[in-house]
Amino acid sequence: MKIARMLAVLAVAIPLGAQTPGLPVSYERLLKADQEPGNWLMYSNTYNGWRFSRLNQINTENVKNLRVKWLFQGRHEQKFETTPLVVNGIMYLTRPENDVFAVDAETGRVLWAYSYKNPERTYNCCGRVNRGLAILGNTLFMNTLDMHVVAIDAKSGREIWKTKMGQYDESGGYAATGAPLVVKDKVIVGMAGGEHPISGFLDAYDAATGKRLWRFHTIPQPGEPNFGTWAGDSWKTGGVSTWNTGSYDPESNTLFWGTSNPWPDYNKDFRAGDNLYSCSVLALDPDTGKLKWYFQFTPSDTHDWDATQIPILLDAPYRDANRHLVAWAARNGFFYLLDRDNGGFYFAKSFVRQTWAKGFDDKGRPEVIPGNDPTPEGIDTVFPGVDGGANWMAHSYSPLTKLLYIFARDERRRFSKNSVRHAPGDEGPPTEAGAATAAASTSSARPDAAGGGRGGAPPAPGNGVFGAGGNLPGTNMGGNPRQRFAPEESWGKVVAMDPLAGVPKWEYKVVTPPWGGLMATAGNVVFGGTLEGMVFALDARTGERLWYFSGNDRVYAAPISYLVNGKQYISLAVGDVIITFGL
Amino acid sequence: MPYAAAQQHTAGAADGAALFQTYCAYCHGSHGEGGRGADLTTGEYQHGSSDNDLFSTIRYGVRGTEMPATGVNDDEAWKLVAFVKSIGSQGAKEVAPGDAGAGKQVYARSGCASCHSIDKQGGAIGPDLSDVGRRRNLKYIEESIVKPDADIPVQYRAIQVVTKSGQTINGIRLNEDDISIQVRDLDDNLRSFLKADIREIRHDKPSLMPSYTSLSRKDLDDLVSYLHSLRGAQ
Repeated sequence: MKIARMLAVLAVAIPLGAQTPGLPVSYERLLKADQEPGNWLMYSNTYNGWRFSRLNQINTENVKNLRVKWLFQGRHEQKFETTPLVVNGIMYLTRPENDVFAVDAETGRVLWAYSYKNPERTYNCCGRVNRGLAILGNTLFMNTLDMHVVAIDAKSGREIWKTKMGQYDESGGYAATGAPLVVKDKVIVGMAGGEHPISGFLDAYDAATGKRLWRFHTIPQPGEPNFGTWAGDSWKTGGVSTWNTGSYDPESNTLFWGTSNPWPDYNKDFRAGDNLYSCSVLALDPDTGKLKWYFQFTPSDTHDWDATQIPILLDAPYRDANRHLVAWAARNGFFYLLDRDNGGFYFAKSFVRQTWAKGFDDKGRPEVIPGNDPTPEGIDTVFPGVDGGANWMAHSYSPLTKLLYIFARDERRRFSKNSVRHAPGDEGPPTEAGAATAAASTSSARPDAAGGGRGGAPPAPGNGVFGAGGNLPGTNMGGNPRQRFAPEESWGKVVAMDPLAGVPKWEYKVVTPPWGGLMATAGNVVFGGTLEGMVFALDARTGERLWYFSGNDRVYAAPISYLVNGKQYISLAVGDVIITFGL
Repeated sequence: MPYAAAQQHTAGAADGAALFQTYCAYCHGSHGEGGRGADLTTGEYQHGSSDNDLFSTIRYGVRGTEMPATGVNDDEAWKLVAFVKSIGSQGAKEVAPGDAGAGKQVYARSGCASCHSIDKQGGAIGPDLSDVGRRRNLKYIEESIVKPDADIPVQYRAIQVVTKSGQTINGIRLNEDDISIQVRDLDDNLRSFLKADIREIRHDKPSLMPSYTSLSRKDLDDLVSYLHSLRGAQ
């Protein structure tokens, strides 16, 4: 009954045929995005990172009647990782390699298309992907693979401005793949490249002009606090990118953003120290880019367990006080609860099998179990695997159930220590001849990492059903000891976590460690999709599967929900198709 | 200019050796002598011998085979090309211990073809052996005959599907998601089951293949020789 009462408060009564607010989208509307459940105005729907829809037309009673309404045929071989935006019945989505489409959200018919020309070779680790857009006023914002931020007119698809973030092919390679986040009049954008000897940062740009307003270096520069956490010159090329999207707390005017692994990923011989601010959450002033506090989940990481998850901001009574909290299901396999005001540590508890930490001190520093570091010959007894217990895919928090839904990866993988030496220039850009050869032989015909995650192998030939890769039989993933283990050994699961206790209320197991995100709704349904392409609806209270659809291609994206003419829809990218469901 | 690119990295063959231990030795052996992966010391490469071919194989893997994308960057891949070419020019083919012709008879009378195929002749419940001599070294082939559980590609692991009606189906898994599982049964039938109709999926024994320890030493040597002689389309 308690949930029923909350439902009445949180869900929004929408008359059929009602219009949702349209352009322009002001910052004030972004602040109150939860008051516009018919629109999807930013990557996580709201600034708190919840990816929760207040719509409840589709609910536990009728979700079994969900039907496909339309498809957007992406016609692209790269992974679709996009979270579309929806404003008053118009969907704005990115296709891999930075194409943008405006689509009628009721029919899927294209209204305009914007095409961005990337170089033939880019330096993305895991596919020429893009995760989505941000919007302010009448303008859409997107990061590009060649390290630009572009502003596009939402009505016409015309480019308004384009600003270079950095030289994409410098120092082994930069890219930008995440969805920007608009805060006030600024566009906050991260970058990728932690697999290379780069130096990470987070930028803010003037939404009107594209002028860069501040840059926060994720590796402390000489003279800054924590500069000495990298041995020798390793700080110059230490990686630490910011490749996913952050969250924002308007009340304290604080931006929260996760950072990637240090470089070299699997070898700390030449970067002794904690390697701040790698594998951390940063709390920043969005006006200035100044650091308020940080919390590092994995000091001196050697497993690529970066901390680029979406920050989940909660306010809740905890330990005899109303507290501002950050909930974080980290790639290192532990669920953390932190104090949002100062980065203080409350607890960390594993949500997948893990072998590397026996506990934490009172500041949250892990007590590391020896013998888990990568070795030159490889070690395959470490949990979680290289793709972590969680990764970039979106979690979702429901204020109805007060549960955080985590799509977790419960697996081990093989870790091998990099043999690279760490000296600037030692891992510099490939020779011109080498780069040219690689581009010529691969750019058009060889999507990199078509399978799951870094180093994933392409699917078996002529086998679209197996497009997911993953640990399915019939792909060459399964036979490779560097890749995933058998389904009996590695799997995925939706974990319904009580964030204040760190204890799962229920779990829903899936065959393959996932790459898709989740969305909870006021209909008490949790939507998501598996690597085999099964789109599912779970009862948010129990984990019971209420509905499914066999999409039969990889899901690398998270669902959204919105209204068109007063009717609720659910959209999710499955393979290169965006599928929209409705009653 | 792939050759030039590899030449530039020839000096990096030593680095390539270290990378090889990290990324390749698990399958190809610590000296490239082969194992689960092909013997690389012979200088024969099924998927192309040019620098560009080797680079592509190493960097991106080979679709439809067990050879994965290695996960190295371009520069490392070129170093690996240099190293692989250096050991390829040094190596010699393994000398099989038996009589391949006699081994072909052992293969026929032992019923291997009921599960395995060679040149499109035979069953599909076990791996195709048409080019097994190129992909596996002698030690691995012998081990697969006498200890088949030792190392099984995941797509050939035995499973038992037990239906709610009490029927048990033995076979190999062709595909699986959270709704259903697809199986090739021991009679080579393609079967699909909804998980709602399944009581359990068991993995009682890793391999469907029996251990052929009853073969005489000579028969075993002959059979290994025969299989090692299978190189696929040249």
